[in-house]
Amino acid sequence: MLATVLTLIGRRALLSFLILFIVSVLLFIVLRALPVDPAAMSLPPNATVAEIEAKRHEMGLDLSLPRQYLIWLSHAVSGDLGSSIQFRRGVLGLVASTLPATIELAVLAMLVASVLGLAGGLALFHVRGTAKEPALDLGTVVLLSLPEFLWALFFILVVGVALRWLPFTGRIDPDMRLPVTTGFLLIDSWIAGRPDIFRSAIEHLILPSLALGIAFSPAIMRVLRSSLLDVYQEDYIHLARLRGLGEKHILIRHALKNAILPTLSLMGVQFGFLFGGTLLVELIFSYPGLGNLMVDAVRNADLPIIQAVGLTYCIVVLSINTIVDSLYVILNPKLRLQ
Amino acid sequence: MTTAIERRALLQLLGLGIGGATLGLSWPAAAQQTDAVTIGWPSDVPSWDPNQRFTPEAQHLYKLVFDQPLDQDPKLALVPALIKTWDMAADGKSLKIELRDDIVFHDGTRMTTEDFRYTFFERIKAGHAVDTKNSWRSVSDIEISSPTQCVMKFASPAVTAPQWLAFMGSFVVPKKYMESIGVEKFREKPIGTGPYKLVDYQLNTRIVLERNEQYWGPKPMVKRVTIEIIKDPSARVAALQSGQIDLTINVPVREVARLEREPSLAGEINPITRVMLLQCRNDQGFTDQNIRLAAHHAIDKAALSKAFFNNAAVPLSVPVTPGTPGFPADYKFAYDPDKAKALLAKSGFDMGKPAKITFGSTNGQFPSDYDIARAIQQMWKKVGIDAELETIEYAKYFELNRGGKLPDAMLYSWDNATGDPEIFAGYLLNTKMPFSAFKDPAVGDKIAPLFGVTDYQARIQGYKDVVKFAVDYGATIPLLQSVQTVVRRKKLNYEKFGNGWVLANTMSWS
Repeated sequence: MLATVLTLIGRRALLSFLILFIVSVLLFIVLRALPVDPAAMSLPPNATVAEIEAKRHEMGLDLSLPRQYLIWLSHAVSGDLGSSIQFRRGVLGLVASTLPATIELAVLAMLVASVLGLAGGLALFHVRGTAKEPALDLGTVVLLSLPEFLWALFFILVVGVALRWLPFTGRIDPDMRLPVTTGFLLIDSWIAGRPDIFRSAIEHLILPSLALGIAFSPAIMRVLRSSLLDVYQEDYIHLARLRGLGEKHILIRHALKNAILPTLSLMGVQFGFLFGGTLLVELIFSYPGLGNLMVDAVRNADLPIIQAVGLTYCIVVLSINTIVDSLYVILNPKLRLQ
Repeated sequence: MTTAIERRALLQLLGLGIGGATLGLSWPAAAQQTDAVTIGWPSDVPSWDPNQRFTPEAQHLYKLVFDQPLDQDPKLALVPALIKTWDMAADGKSLKIELRDDIVFHDGTRMTTEDFRYTFFERIKAGHAVDTKNSWRSVSDIEISSPTQCVMKFASPAVTAPQWLAFMGSFVVPKKYMESIGVEKFREKPIGTGPYKLVDYQLNTRIVLERNEQYWGPKPMVKRVTIEIIKDPSARVAALQSGQIDLTINVPVREVARLEREPSLAGEINPITRVMLLQCRNDQGFTDQNIRLAAHHAIDKAALSKAFFNNAAVPLSVPVTPGTPGFPADYKFAYDPDKAKALLAKSGFDMGKPAKITFGSTNGQFPSDYDIARAIQQMWKKVGIDAELETIEYAKYFELNRGGKLPDAMLYSWDNATGDPEIFAGYLLNTKMPFSAFKDPAVGDKIAPLFGVTDYQARIQGYKDVVKFAVDYGATIPLLQSVQTVVRRKKLNYEKFGNGWVLANTMSWS
């Protein structure tokens, strides 16, 4: 099994390089096609035309587009993604300092989406054919139709303002300090032996991850329900009943194992969307991640940051897809045989 | 058929995520301390090098850690700060300066003319990536005669140099410290001479400041200041209501009225030195002066103020704010739709055959910008001007202007913390500067000489005259004086500045 998984990862890695290359070319072309002059943006508004021209030359913007791309690529492979127009700092450092926050948020949100989605899917399956089914169905439609930013505002107003149960700005309490080791607060706080900071980080993560997770859970619920319905039509379920196995046993040991596979595929796809969804949620919760950086970059037409964040999103989505496919191989013996 | 999963087990499963997450957690409102304040701010600093980037919102924050050579009082008059006395030469080409001798940086080293020279001359010559190289490009040297005395030399007359010493990016940085650790490290561990020391900074999240006990000026009442960076206005309002912050700015005008009804909160809508105006071209659809003037007469500015700013934004006849030196109080440009129609008729246009122009607006750059543009579009329609409205990103304004691609009229916001008319009409209408869209020498030729007038009264009068001429000529369509909204705990006091500075070192609890 390990060999199969490693082969898959190897193939995926090769394919990922090709996809990354294509995405980087597309991003480069699209960003250069925008009617924004990075040279002028790098200088204050009262810069002279001569100063802008000098800057354009310095930035290599007077070269042909393929040449510009090759220069960018040669720098990128050596870890230099350029310098931010707004911050005048290396873009890689900015992305590296904000990415852990977004990963932390996305992973927790996915956990919320998975727990709610699986539990909701089971509940939907449980009430099928009963009077409760339409009500629960309607509930999933409502959940599906509310976007994550509305959930964010709802949680801020109810849990943050009215009940004052949880904080909703930043990553930890203002009076807390923690040296950066990995950038992941939940890990760094344990490394530093600071359970108070761990608790604070969790408290700050609850509302944004709930907002994101709830918005992405209904799709999981519905796919799990329909997969279970399909699986329950299979002969082996009837045979299990004939063998006298309990419904709980049949569900957990037989039906769920098979029904989970399409759900897992969906969760992989959902994670990609969810990662993109962090952008608005981070803005609303003042959460200092990649999304917040991207919003600033778009506002200031900071092309190097937009390009780097775009590539980062691409890498994350490709990585998640590889992980999900590997899990799929592990969980599905048929694929291992193929 | 239903499967026999136990109901209790299912409910436990469902409740696990939600219940467990919030059980036992509670978030008390921040205890109000008289020596601490938490401010919700809409944007972060681009970096902690205060000379690096001209970002108006960041100036408030820089002023807490760094000092400017000159300062402004709440009514915007120039007042001594690091500079004790200053004297501009009659030709405007040299500025004699005497610094205070009791100023130290946060590391205890003394601030001298070496630091002043480094900030305004040496950094620029050394090629540091600082925006101040554009504001101080005419500095040819700074001649030092003692640790407190020097003379700034300019290649061309720089009559507003004192104003610029209290303006964007003009903060003195420590030469020895910066040279010893380098600019990159300085951005991570900045020191200045300001009323607060930076003790913690998290990008896009939080700035924590502690009072500088060695500060040369009035000691701030508040010992600890926390700036929470909250970019979304709704989230800032929520943070205030939940007690997580004590003061915030730039919340929607209608929210101010609502929040004021809460017993613990107070709100203000303060007019500031920022103007909303239409930048006009002098060609294409706006070649004809009659159309430009008709477009101006057709706009009901009082209605715009009422609809979008609760009547708090003052209608303007000139691109200068009331109370600043270059404001001609005796001049009014009337809202007169009939006159607009008459002017259009002179050029052969009416409702049936409207004059066609292009019109640009930002969307979200300042409050209600695109909605204001749409309202103006409707007002124009009623007199016989058909405007094609398009959204233009603020970041693209200069690029489009340089390429002569701006629309005929462009809704624009212009900030001038100094209040000096040069940085209002002088910059907005000087055809040689990148801000101006109106390139007709009839206006440009009247503005340009004022940049060299060293007599203050003559210069101010010159601007008063030229802005009246420019408006009558149809070179610009001023709309409203911008407002800044502030909402705070009722017991938290702060000093109001005419330019909208909200400074923690002026705050106190009552």
